[in-house]
Amino acid sequence: MKQVLLVGIGVLWAVAGWGAGLSATLQPGKADLKSAGPLAFGPDGILFVGDPMGAQVFALATGDTKAGKAPAVNVDGLHEKIAALLGTSADQILVNDLAVNPASRRVYLSISRGRGPDAAAAIVTVGEDGKLAEMNLANIGHAKVALPNAPGADEKDRRGTPKRLEAITDLQYLDGKLIVAGLSNEEFASNLRSIPFPFRDAGAAASVEIYHGSHGRFETNAPVRTFTSYKIKNQPHLLAAYTCTPLVRIPMTDLKPGNKVKGVTIAELGNRNRPLDMIVYQKNGADFILMNNSSRGVMKMPAANLDGYAPITAPTEKQGVPYETMAQWKGVEQLDRYDNSHALMLVRAEGGALSLTTVALP
Amino acid sequence: MAIRPFIFVLPLLGAVAGAQSKPVTIDFGGDPTEIRVVNSGILPRLRNPNFQAILKVSLDQDGAPALSGDYEMKGGALVFKPRYKLEPGLSYRAVYSLVNEHARGAFTVPKPKVAPSTVVERIYPTAAVLPENQLKFYLHFSAPMSRGEAAKRIHLFQEDGTEVKLPFLELDEELWDRDFRRLTVLFDPGRVKRGLVPNAEVGLPIRDGQKYRLVVDAEWQDGSGIPLKQPFVKQFSGGPAVRSAIDPKEWTITAPRGLDIAPLVIDFPRPLDAALLQRFLDVVDGAGQLVKGRILLDKEERRWLFQPDRPWQPGQYSIEVVSTLEDLAGNKVGRAFDVDVFDRVDQAVTMETVSLPFTVAAP
Repeated sequence: MKQVLLVGIGVLWAVAGWGAGLSATLQPGKADLKSAGPLAFGPDGILFVGDPMGAQVFALATGDTKAGKAPAVNVDGLHEKIAALLGTSADQILVNDLAVNPASRRVYLSISRGRGPDAAAAIVTVGEDGKLAEMNLANIGHAKVALPNAPGADEKDRRGTPKRLEAITDLQYLDGKLIVAGLSNEEFASNLRSIPFPFRDAGAAASVEIYHGSHGRFETNAPVRTFTSYKIKNQPHLLAAYTCTPLVRIPMTDLKPGNKVKGVTIAELGNRNRPLDMIVYQKNGADFILMNNSSRGVMKMPAANLDGYAPITAPTEKQGVPYETMAQWKGVEQLDRYDNSHALMLVRAEGGALSLTTVALP
Repeated sequence: MAIRPFIFVLPLLGAVAGAQSKPVTIDFGGDPTEIRVVNSGILPRLRNPNFQAILKVSLDQDGAPALSGDYEMKGGALVFKPRYKLEPGLSYRAVYSLVNEHARGAFTVPKPKVAPSTVVERIYPTAAVLPENQLKFYLHFSAPMSRGEAAKRIHLFQEDGTEVKLPFLELDEELWDRDFRRLTVLFDPGRVKRGLVPNAEVGLPIRDGQKYRLVVDAEWQDGSGIPLKQPFVKQFSGGPAVRSAIDPKEWTITAPRGLDIAPLVIDFPRPLDAALLQRFLDVVDGAGQLVKGRILLDKEERRWLFQPDRPWQPGQYSIEVVSTLEDLAGNKVGRAFDVDVFDRVDQAVTMETVSLPFTVAAP
């Protein structure tokens, strides 16, 4: 079964349709995550979990749809608290991603308990009171879709265990589609997939190509590190940051299976730097993008007129969309929108201590 | 699951139920560890008890939350199986309380002393000279490793001992294979690709004519939390950048003779990617059937050998090359890693295959 490993509910979807609520389409049972990587929320309290070790993506019905009231969530000593909850030591806890449920403001963290290949996957929630709880995956409404094998990966199967695996670097739900960015541990290929939800088929990967600056040079296969969605002139776009740092815009309509997509570079974010997370928000009637980076801190940039900037055609720093570095925040490893006026940050202090902090959007 | 003999049996610390001849005790043991409450006079008589309220197992720290897991009554004892395996070297406590029965116990999971034995077995590419636009390394370990340390355990030094700053793409995900025995280390693509800010400002991590040492720290922990047996060093020199597409027409094919088991040999003018050479070259017979066999690499990945499972039969064969095969610098068949012209863009992703015919002569 190469294409779809989906729980067999395709027929059920067809019957149930969209009106019954998407959660109702998810079948109760054990969500057997091999790993818990990137997280994203869809409608109706559905949490999408990237499972790179299982080469699949899960949709989980959290049932967490009641509106929350807490103005902020702040938790210190996060490693230690998660370790106590899962019965291990803090050094055995890796926090892979963070997502805030927009319906309830409850915080969801994807966790590796252990660091080796036998590490267990867990989803830990942080409630309004700052209390941690583990999500019960033994009996939960869920669906999963397998990411299709890469070309040639089948051939390897006949000769022993395939070594090819794809890291899932980011995912996001947008208008009935789940967008999944991947990075192979063999070929330097970009895989940006657009998977319809409810899941039917992971489909062929849309390979992304991108122009880079000087001399009109053309570049293929630029893996996406992180992305978010944003409407430009009412057309949905992805704003994507590549592992090699440029920020590009890609029209969603281009993300069709088998297409080659050309992202237009709209900002260069500097050397020795990795983009980590991006959110879009509104303040005083204007749209902004907030982005955290590995070495260049948290950047704020205006999201208006993203199509108004000329595509970057030369490697000049700070060209394109202007950005402002938010000096007050350091060590921000994960970022999500908490509510209309706040962001939630996973912050690593200099000594390595991890905390969740709610901040006002700048 | 077979339960090994219980390692620790801790007696009751609290009060004893009056009606019991033996005190209620909590046992820890087995692999994976289970927690058992034995000698209760009340438990066997309960219907639908709320076990979570009766027995709480946690880290041996005040205020630690209860561990999740499964409870069941077995042979008159209450058995708790933690969802996750308890951690060697850590201490756990169990507190039991039911009417007038109370018990507490603590337990440290034994941590076996294991001498470091895991090593870096090999590294690809094996060449002593690497193009200055080298794209990646594959580190192969003798045993599963742990995730989360790669960025601080791999270093690149220049000949004078100066460490090259941030030569590699640091990804929290870390590009391991399924059993965590092979790590793919990408050079920072922003420095390798031409026409980008990092490339223009900081430049390529490797320079033509310079000597380097790639060092893997012995402190890196394997999947069992044990450091490596020894550090690993690969010495190499930077060579000229390779910026042209792979051209299979430049390959030399040495065909075996019929009824022989000798390998088919292909020699490449430049080293190719070791992992992709396992996936993107196939041998097909005249009937279009895939020939099964084993792949070997030699001559610093400039030579590909295919050892068939069965002797070759005289006739026509072909080597099917998937165009996404890469060399050390990410150049593919028919397409260089970064291309100067953009008017040759294909509008659809095509998985092209190049077919290289060869003949197996009669013996």
